[in-house]
Amino acid sequence: MNRLATIWAIFQGLLLEALPFLLIGVLIAGLARWLAPGGRWLQRLPRQPLLAPLSGAALGFALPACECGNVPVARRLLAGGAPLGSALGFLFAAPVLNPIVLASTWAAFPDQPWLLAARPLAALVVALALSALLQQLPEGALLEPALLEERRLSQPLEQVGLLERRSGLVGSVAPMPPPAAERPHLASVLDHSSREFLDLAGLLVLGCAIAAVVQTLLPRTWLLAVGGAPTLSVLSLMLMAVVVSVCSSVDAFLALGFAAQITPGALLAFLVLGPVVDLKLLGLFGVVLRPRAIALTAAGACVVVLLIGQWVNLWLL
Amino acid sequence: MGESLAALIRPLALALWGAVLLWSTLSGRLDLLLRGVFHPLVGLSGVALLALALHQLLRGRQERHWNRGWALSALLAIAVLALPPNPSFSDLAANRNSDLGDAVELDFLLPPSQRSLTDWVRLLRSQPDPALYAGDPVRISGFVLTQPDGPPQLGRLLVRCCLADATPIGLPLRWPSGAIPPADQWLAVEGTMGVETIAGQPRSVVLPKRIRPIPRPARPLEP
Repeated sequence: MNRLATIWAIFQGLLLEALPFLLIGVLIAGLARWLAPGGRWLQRLPRQPLLAPLSGAALGFALPACECGNVPVARRLLAGGAPLGSALGFLFAAPVLNPIVLASTWAAFPDQPWLLAARPLAALVVALALSALLQQLPEGALLEPALLEERRLSQPLEQVGLLERRSGLVGSVAPMPPPAAERPHLASVLDHSSREFLDLAGLLVLGCAIAAVVQTLLPRTWLLAVGGAPTLSVLSLMLMAVVVSVCSSVDAFLALGFAAQITPGALLAFLVLGPVVDLKLLGLFGVVLRPRAIALTAAGACVVVLLIGQWVNLWLL
Repeated sequence: MGESLAALIRPLALALWGAVLLWSTLSGRLDLLLRGVFHPLVGLSGVALLALALHQLLRGRQERHWNRGWALSALLAIAVLALPPNPSFSDLAANRNSDLGDAVELDFLLPPSQRSLTDWVRLLRSQPDPALYAGDPVRISGFVLTQPDGPPQLGRLLVRCCLADATPIGLPLRWPSGAIPPADQWLAVEGTMGVETIAGQPRSVVLPKRIRPIPRPARPLEP
């Protein structure tokens, strides 16, 4: 009975701490939608292999959202004709490189300032690696077909031939053109944000419940045995990040529960992998990427995060 | 009926979660769960969610289909409102390291009789020579923290963020024979600091003159 009471209290503690950060994240993502990214400036973003993902990652500071909020924004960027590297950099790095996520990481780990620098840095490394990896595929094998057609309509003809558009003047009926960059009503943005908040709060509840149960019921000797082993701890926390599927704006609070028992590399791996690959995202990515590209993303992110976790353990243990 | 409920579920779920955040702040429940610095943020978020719920209600019916996830979420919010947390601190501490990390530095030193249990533990970790404190008066409060090897100590929980990162700390206490209270019982202890030898090593121990059961304090967590 004591155990149940303790699980219930830890669950409430995690949830009440995380809900305000989720709300702030969703409202700011809504604000970004209201300010409507779109238009010609997208096509003027840098195209160089290194600068493109870096500029996309930096957009996270202008359009701060957790990973669920930023998938639709990344789709909008791609449909608007933004360079592939910039959009991929935004998709993979912006969920960590934004003020809300950095604030919640600081709130959860005020005694570990190295994490505040290591988390965005590692996220940037993952984004650069994934961006380079995915750009090995031609756009046709990478992007979801409907998105690809929208994108080709936004790209200038010197980049995409008429026949490649496969629609419009030649070929099948034109799909809907990308939405113009007009500002939606604030009321409809609030509708969207309230829906998003309730959907994500459901996932947060599940994540908090798993964290509270594991923390209370798993014997400390097990946690210490797994958490203390350099490689095993990184792998276990990567698995947990994929299963728990909690937003990047609040995942630092869930990591708190294990932080004392695990290696620093495992802690960083949890905080870096979750925003790029988790069960919920694998579904969401379907609106941007083809299945093969999603599989490549998952495998690439896992390898890079494992290496980063191992390196951090070598450095700090 | 079904359709009107489906239309109401979104504002209802938002309002219930807003009520959870606001009520937890106003009722003092957060004192048991989170560090004080976060309390205003939780309260303000509750107000924002209630405002959002009102906005959604005034916008009129939008959902035509029953959203089971939101309904479950609303039920859970009711459960959180109805069932306040009542954790066993001793049970919670049993699964944790008592690692104070870098937090052992003391900015200033209070006179012995004004030191809390946390001040004593930090002082003993930064300057662990028991002879320095022998005979000092002690007036502390804490809960009975069971130990896997040996008699229980008087404990407190330190929290940097929320209950999930609570770190237990404890002071050894020489219990009167046959009078060890049950785990989790809160006690106020008055006495002096003494020295005992465990496995050939001297350590500080509280020698109580008066032990008094007290209710759990309103703010049981320490930063």
